[in-house]
Amino acid sequence: MRALLFACYLLVTVGAYLVTRRIFLRFKYPLLNPVFLSTLAIIALLEASGGSWEGYQPAKEAMTFLLGPATVALALPLYKNRSVLRNHALPVFAGVLAGSLATIACVLVAGRVAGLPRGVLISLGPKSVTVPIAVEISRLAGGEPTLTAAFVVATGMIGSILGPLLLSALKVRNPVARGLALGTVSHGQGTAVALMEGETAGAMGGVAMALAAVSTALVIPYYLPLFLP
Amino acid sequence: MRQFLNIVWQSALLWVVFRCGAFLVAVLHLALPGNVAGMLLMFALLASGIVKPAWIEAGGGFLLKHFAFFFIPISVGLMSFGPLMRQSGLTLLAVLVLSAAVGVLVTGVSVQFLHGRSSR
Repeated sequence: MRALLFACYLLVTVGAYLVTRRIFLRFKYPLLNPVFLSTLAIIALLEASGGSWEGYQPAKEAMTFLLGPATVALALPLYKNRSVLRNHALPVFAGVLAGSLATIACVLVAGRVAGLPRGVLISLGPKSVTVPIAVEISRLAGGEPTLTAAFVVATGMIGSILGPLLLSALKVRNPVARGLALGTVSHGQGTAVALMEGETAGAMGGVAMALAAVSTALVIPYYLPLFLP
Repeated sequence: MRQFLNIVWQSALLWVVFRCGAFLVAVLHLALPGNVAGMLLMFALLASGIVKPAWIEAGGGFLLKHFAFFFIPISVGLMSFGPLMRQSGLTLLAVLVLSAAVGVLVTGVSVQFLHGRSSR
């Protein structure tokens, strides 16, 4: 029974991905983001069939097994675009650092104005950083790691839908700028969208994800308290 | 078939580098997750010529083509935050949307501006 359920979840997730990927590649519209549509469909299916997150988790573990190697593979487009890094080191570093500091400040100020409790604010701080680091930053700062993980995933989704729309509206067409912006705010999920835009944008997404993670981890202990009640 | 085998063994090679990255992080107590350390390690291997790009082209290309897939099962985890979402979901959504927009704007516009200048 458990094996059957496991196989079902695997099939449903892969199937949802293949269908929504086709839809996205056909229309190329950010709101049709495959991760967003598939997640909605699977959650709806689980809720309707009486399934739970705990029941789905073994399938999730199996399906994310290759995420580590896939992240390592980002070194390939990065290597092919190494001249961009060499020739434009300042815009790359400055842009990612500025974006990271801005998004942290904004989430904390807005959260404070909205009256969110201190624990939630701390957990929101590292929300633009890839999950494994964000969780660690949150724990060290006195936040709630599971809450941070949820915020990271939500930000990944929001940035990968809203990011391309906003960048196009602002006439930011340079693939280096688009990839860096998506990776800075939406880590791996933003990088996934950048990869669908093209190889250069994807490589820059990976660069931004790594730089944002490291710089956020380094600055948060000093930066976060400035915005807390 | 040949292509499939290439994808399998090249993914295995990427996995080994990923585990090496995780090992380095644990031993050296780095402020990095293992996968990002693995990416930097692989970049160093490529830059130094120890690993040829062709060795990971098929496997790496396949994994990157479907990079978005991995975030679907992870995102399904949001369903376990139902009560919090019902209570203050709209506030959190507004705060996250605003900060994502500001971050995208700052990085996107500043890089496009600086990059344009440094290309001239």
